[in-house]
Amino acid sequence: MNLSWGAAWALARRGLDWRFKGLRLLLVCLVLGTAALSAIGTLTGAIERELASRGREMLGADLEFTLAARAPAADERAAIAALGELSEGARMQAMAVKVGALRVGATNVVGASSPPPTPSSEEEGASGSAATPVELKAVDAKWPLYGTFRLADGTVARAPEGMTAWIAPGVADRLGVKVGDALKVGEATLTVGGVIGSEPDRLAEGFSLGPTVIIGKAALDASKLVQPGSMVRSKLRVKLPAAADPVTLGESIKERFPLAGYEVRTREKASPSLDRFVSRMGQFLVLVALAALAIAGIGIGNGVNSYLEARRNSIATLKILGASSGDIARIFLLQLAAASLLAIAAGLVIGVSVTPLLGQALQGLLPIKAGFVIDFGALAIAAAYGALIALTFAAPPLVRARSFPAMALMRARVSPLAGGWRGAVLPVALGLGGIVALAVLTAPQKLLAAGFLGGAAALFLLLSALGWGIQRLAARVPKPKGAIARMALANLHRPGAQTSALVVALGFGLSAFVLLAGVQTSLDGNIAQRVPNKAPDYFVLDLPLSRVSDFDAIVKAAAPGADIRKVPALRGSIVAYGPEGAMTRVADLKQLPENAWPLRGDRGLTYADELPQGNVLTAGQWWAKDNAGEPLVSVDDDLGKALNLKLGDRIAVSILGVERTAKIASFRRIDWENMGFNYVLVFSPNAIADAPHNLAATISLPQKEKTAQVRSAILGGLVKALPSSSVIEIGPVLGQAREILGQMGAAILAAASVAVLSGMAVLAGAIAAARERKTYDNVILRVLGASRRQLLVLLMAEYVLLGALLCALALALGSGVAWAIVVLLFEFDWLPDWPRILGVLGAGVGLVMVLAVGGSLGLLRTRPAQVLREL
Amino acid sequence: MEILRGIDLTVMPGEKLALLGPSGSGKSSLLAILSGLEQASGGALNVAGADFTTLDEDGLAAARRGRIGIVLQAFHLLPTMTALENVATPLELAGMPDAMARAEAELIAVGLGHRLHHYPAQLSGGEQQRVAIARALAPKPAILFADEPTGNLDHANGDAVADLLFARAGEVGATFIMVTHDEALAARCGRIVRLADGRIVSDSVVDAGA
Repeated sequence: MNLSWGAAWALARRGLDWRFKGLRLLLVCLVLGTAALSAIGTLTGAIERELASRGREMLGADLEFTLAARAPAADERAAIAALGELSEGARMQAMAVKVGALRVGATNVVGASSPPPTPSSEEEGASGSAATPVELKAVDAKWPLYGTFRLADGTVARAPEGMTAWIAPGVADRLGVKVGDALKVGEATLTVGGVIGSEPDRLAEGFSLGPTVIIGKAALDASKLVQPGSMVRSKLRVKLPAAADPVTLGESIKERFPLAGYEVRTREKASPSLDRFVSRMGQFLVLVALAALAIAGIGIGNGVNSYLEARRNSIATLKILGASSGDIARIFLLQLAAASLLAIAAGLVIGVSVTPLLGQALQGLLPIKAGFVIDFGALAIAAAYGALIALTFAAPPLVRARSFPAMALMRARVSPLAGGWRGAVLPVALGLGGIVALAVLTAPQKLLAAGFLGGAAALFLLLSALGWGIQRLAARVPKPKGAIARMALANLHRPGAQTSALVVALGFGLSAFVLLAGVQTSLDGNIAQRVPNKAPDYFVLDLPLSRVSDFDAIVKAAAPGADIRKVPALRGSIVAYGPEGAMTRVADLKQLPENAWPLRGDRGLTYADELPQGNVLTAGQWWAKDNAGEPLVSVDDDLGKALNLKLGDRIAVSILGVERTAKIASFRRIDWENMGFNYVLVFSPNAIADAPHNLAATISLPQKEKTAQVRSAILGGLVKALPSSSVIEIGPVLGQAREILGQMGAAILAAASVAVLSGMAVLAGAIAAARERKTYDNVILRVLGASRRQLLVLLMAEYVLLGALLCALALALGSGVAWAIVVLLFEFDWLPDWPRILGVLGAGVGLVMVLAVGGSLGLLRTRPAQVLREL
Repeated sequence: MEILRGIDLTVMPGEKLALLGPSGSGKSSLLAILSGLEQASGGALNVAGADFTTLDEDGLAAARRGRIGIVLQAFHLLPTMTALENVATPLELAGMPDAMARAEAELIAVGLGHRLHHYPAQLSGGEQQRVAIARALAPKPAILFADEPTGNLDHANGDAVADLLFARAGEVGATFIMVTHDEALAARCGRIVRLADGRIVSDSVVDAGA
């Protein structure tokens, strides 16, 4: 009969050193892993909660309706106004031009931390007609319905009156304007009334191509920017009565006006794209930290093994005194569980404590400040991961220890415990199954999570195989001449050597470093080097059809070699798709099919007589010029697959509140990389050309014309002649993209560095485990006349050998996977920044070497006689 | 704490000396100081022309290298090296040429020519001590120290190892200083120094052939 759990605990407690001597490696590894997981989970949870709780303020309403390219019809407006208190406004891209007195060189009027002026605006500033693209936000007297708008000087304000404008610090910076100066937007001349301090609904406005200028309805009308076909987004925001349900009311308006094309947002989901970004980024970081925890698991396994090895005599004695295998398992399981619980609790406390610091570090990337919060859900998940990892990695040595007969334990002093792995299959399978289930079930993107886990498992197996291979190879290569080199090599493969575990533990983290640095620097390289060569120099939006010849003339006069492309630009949303007579209504879908992102909200639509440049037909045929038959559409191949569309099926879109249906004539593969205008849906002209619309254009300058004078002439000419059009220079936009990429890279690298830290904990454990053996070797060599320098060379040789192997492994594995991600997955060029990658790897390996050599230096000071007496 | 007090001892080249005494008498401490494994806190010590009291750890290691051989009770072989490599190690550390050939000759001399490439774990206790003797004598040291060289062996193996130790030390011409508490083994040396409580209580010359 087995000991009761109570009796087992009494024995366990007696054998447990409350300073946890022998279990410190387990503690460190578990604390590291659970701290990382709980910090990431808490931070993500805090942001998600913040997004949810501040939804009303972020949205500036309980319910928001957005319309593309038109103002609401009278009946629509009346229906929405009946729901509650209505605030109406508009958003659009525009150009702000500085007028009046010149302030040459006045660049940093407000906000020292704002980005520097773009080259064009600086040049234009010197010539007296500074211009910059801005996000124009027209609001009415009721704005903001929720939250408080403040100017930079702390004044609480509402909508600007008359021709006054509130400008973002970026506008002040780029144009060199201050309060009281004049600005021209469209045909309206505005006075800067103040600089924006805090804009409560900024987050929910989403990404914009320029800083904000807030104006009133009168100023918008005076600008004459809103014309039929212009890319304006009308916003109708409603403050609902307390008991009203925004979701139901939003649905009721959509049902009542099914063709109006309203995009509805509620306070619960004020910024779906931000929610998605935070949730996915959080999930990805959790997976990276989980991989780090798995590395820590190796340390846990080694720690438990060393702990049980050191208690071999106690186990044998207990068995001789009549303890059964089950009793041994219970006693040590309880000891390990107590240590694990303590470690997990400490990890959770540390995780929660560092969350505000993490939020601070990621401030640029995260739109919201995350304060000190306790997210019990995230902590429970982190604790569960910790417990499952501890179970998975501690089970094998525990099972081995319990299944050994007493005398075998006594005899096995010189060789590590072996055999008995079969009993560990069940707990290990349970632990691994639990980890996979937890990771997949809690992931918003289950497939991605499963894929990541699969990839990480494959990497683990590969590293294990490589570690085993290296150990075998070290045993087989011809022995070098010289005692020191021979011993260094022997230490890699001698019985009990930790080479294999170290290759996995350190190789994973270092490979992740190389992989992340490779992917990040390659993407950055593509944006910095290749994209500007492929991308046009300017995007021009809202070019009126009637002013095309003026546009061409201005550009050609400034840059005769410029390549100008123009496409009709309409906005609309897909409302239905599928076979004729059996079309699926998008409004009826509970969840969008995977990869069917074009169904979300309104998007750009165009028409053409010819297949767009860079597109390749994958099925069907392009329509004849001037097709007068049934309206036709060509669909992006990926969308076709996502929606299971066939040639001859129909797609219905809502443009300016009118539903138009076209027959699918072809599928196209789009070259998204060309950075020009790419459209998921391209219609035959007879399908949509009659809807009011403007054109969008790109201007690509030949190398010799990429000069300040040419840019100045193009921008100045277009802004003057076409005040309603927006001219966006691509350079600053790419700068923004690189900045975001850099911050995301830093966040992922920070999560991955937990893997390296875990690897180092494993290394520290390996050093501790090898201390006795190394002391012995050193003392014997000392007796035989080895100098301290010779012992140091031996120590360095062993770790340099290991470090060199890890470097080669991390470089080969990390850059191989990075190459696959960049070239095969993203279809970008492989443009790694090798000095940076080697720098990151060097820093990682350097840390490992410092720890390895530093942790072993004490061995050189051992005095032979003292140790020999103890041996 | 003073372990050794008032020790005044001179050992002539080629002499065979046994340090005899009960446990805790200081014999192993004296051997550690004489062989340079430990430094004395006071007094003067001259070994083979070198003043050991002025040397640091590295100086003592250099003084041992090639000139002093040590055989320990628990053999203390390096487990990752074969018998041949173990014996070659002090020769290599001292930068002597033909280390492997000399090590092989020494192993053949102690009767282990057939065990050159075996690891310590593959050898019996007696064989391991023979390897330790070969390792100590391979550099042809001026002085050979042995600390309870047969203490871990059974009677038959102990006798055989003792025979070998005396024979090889004689052939090499090394001064031989051995710690033991075995009277019979001590009697095989020409001189017995008895210790008690860290002091020399007697220093007598015996008939080694008796």
